[in-house]
Amino acid sequence: MSKLLASALAALAIALPDAGQAQVKIGFINSITGPEAPIGENLTNGVDLAVEDLRKKGVNVTVVRQDDTGKPQVAMSAMEQLATGDEVAVVVGPYTSASSNAVAKLAQQYKVPQIVPAAAKEEITRQGYTYVYRLNAPAHQYAQSLIDAALAFGKPRSIAFVYESTDFGTSVTAAGKAYAKAKGLRIVADETYQKGAPDYRSTLTKIKAAGPDLVFMVSYVADAILLMRQSREVGLKPQAFLGGGAGFDTAQFESERDISTHVFSVTQWTPESSPASQEFERRYRARFGKKPTYHAACAYVATLVAGETAAKAGGDRRKIQAALGSGRWSGILGDVKFETYEGFTNQNKLVMPVIQYQGGRSVTVFPPAVVKAKPVYPFPGWR
Amino acid sequence: MVAFAQSVPGAVLILGGGVPALAGTELGPRMMVFLQSVLSGVLVGGVYALIGIGLTMIFGVMRVTNFAHGELVMLGMYLTWGLFHWLRLDPFLSIVLVAPALFLWGAFLQRAFVNRVLDALPQNQILLTIGLGLVMSNGVMLAFTSDYRILTTSYSSASYDLAGISVSKPLLYAFLVTVAITVLLYGFLLRTDTGQAIRATAQDREAAQLMGINVRWTSMLAFGIGAALAGAAGALISPTYYIFPQVGSAFTLKAFVIVVLGGMGSVVGATLGGVIIGLTESLAAVYIAGGLKDLVVFVLFLALLVFKPSGLLGKTRA
Repeated sequence: MSKLLASALAALAIALPDAGQAQVKIGFINSITGPEAPIGENLTNGVDLAVEDLRKKGVNVTVVRQDDTGKPQVAMSAMEQLATGDEVAVVVGPYTSASSNAVAKLAQQYKVPQIVPAAAKEEITRQGYTYVYRLNAPAHQYAQSLIDAALAFGKPRSIAFVYESTDFGTSVTAAGKAYAKAKGLRIVADETYQKGAPDYRSTLTKIKAAGPDLVFMVSYVADAILLMRQSREVGLKPQAFLGGGAGFDTAQFESERDISTHVFSVTQWTPESSPASQEFERRYRARFGKKPTYHAACAYVATLVAGETAAKAGGDRRKIQAALGSGRWSGILGDVKFETYEGFTNQNKLVMPVIQYQGGRSVTVFPPAVVKAKPVYPFPGWR
Repeated sequence: MVAFAQSVPGAVLILGGGVPALAGTELGPRMMVFLQSVLSGVLVGGVYALIGIGLTMIFGVMRVTNFAHGELVMLGMYLTWGLFHWLRLDPFLSIVLVAPALFLWGAFLQRAFVNRVLDALPQNQILLTIGLGLVMSNGVMLAFTSDYRILTTSYSSASYDLAGISVSKPLLYAFLVTVAITVLLYGFLLRTDTGQAIRATAQDREAAQLMGINVRWTSMLAFGIGAALAGAAGALISPTYYIFPQVGSAFTLKAFVIVVLGGMGSVVGATLGGVIIGLTESLAAVYIAGGLKDLVVFVLFLALLVFKPSGLLGKTRA
């Protein structure tokens, strides 16, 4: 009780003259409708749980939600509305790389701290923006973790890339190609596709003809399932299928056992990573009736960090910026600290675990520190 | 670290199983890639054609471009998904229910809305059909959320092996059903009185009316058939594609290109147009770049419009 009183007094002392309880306004830009909406929903759920937890801690958060429909230009007008109209203290989101990158520029311009929860495009935190903070690991780590894992499991010599022509697809692949070259892998195919096309068979046949040891795919949502189904149809059989997160890391993909079994993917977070994460999974399942994805976990942590920091700083954007830069948090994503290194500004260093689908569920197989099961490598063939 | 493949319990599904590649007939990898892309292009094109035929019939009879056509395909997909999900009805069998349902829905839309703008300005007709499409896609989103639905059948990723070329089972079945539907439709249009009435109305609405053809009824029928074909196409794509409320817009655009390519109002043209678009997409994905296949399709489309504005088999409109 006295602790509560003390924190209430502290909040009072900092800024808000009329609040006995800390009151903060957070902006949240997300793909609520549009093609990325199924993933956006996970972020929304994560934010909802975070708001509950913040209220329990006495931080009274108001979340102003904006839908970017997956389009950068809509995300930009949403950001302008949040920054100048709603005058939020801090913004969480948007989901997609393209939207996040567009909003980052405005965050810097309007001096509104932005916490990016799950967008991978490298550039977002490489432009020296001092108001942009990223929680998740950037694109190059997707590729690095996967290629490192494959090299640890076997002796692949060549690699093929199949990826959708979006910011996410191209930036993960660009980083992947550079890393593959550095590791001495021969790049035998480099194929983009437009998401939503019903037929990838010809592209996959071309890749099959090139005979790569590794097939690296980057795709959102349902295209991942289509790509794997059609890989099975054309009989593509490399040593390993490497899926670059996103569509390869959804409950739906996991449930398609015929095509998901033995596929590797990389992720920002797994429910099995810590007791706190298991507890989060339990709560999430009880509340939403499905397994939480990394998007939910990232959005959850981003909102907690945003809410706590904003409450402590009394909603002052400049103070929040300073507090985000110097603060340190720990939770279901492990330790969070926004650092400036190797050309990145305010980037959280997150180790991405590699998972493999075995018997209809995902298990962590890399890096050794967090391993939960043995990997199956090479790919044993289609059942 | 490395565990080798554990043997998997349960039945082993042997892919293809049929034709073993004969020694000596092994195709070179380049030839194989080419044949594979031609084959999947034609198979996918067949389904495109079905969507195009529906659109061209509606246009032919009413001179109204139905911009809600993709949404009708989407409705067909959701119906198929629902029948599969709740009643375990095979997507190919569900056509028997989906097509009549969409026929009634199409006839209703024609009677209640489209019929009122037959003499209106083209832009008003376009706005009306776009509006109908929006209502349908957003209505479905309200009812089913924007989640992607994937229909997984036992043959979803199975294929036949044809001398090293893989023939997707669901796509092959879809193509065969498409051919059957198209043949039936041709028979209906050429051999029956009602079919002739539809063709007559398409050729000259006023003259047909003067000859005693009930043009209003014929229009309703044509819109119903168009919608039924769209619904059937939706059912046929369901096992190989994924389903979400906004899936229609891509098909509307594709159907429109197919119809203009083949000649507005020409059923044979739309069939041809569908296969050409399927082939172009498939070949462009292999020989140019997967990300650029739409570009190739539209460049081809524009080139045709420059050199033959009436489409491949279209008659110039007076």
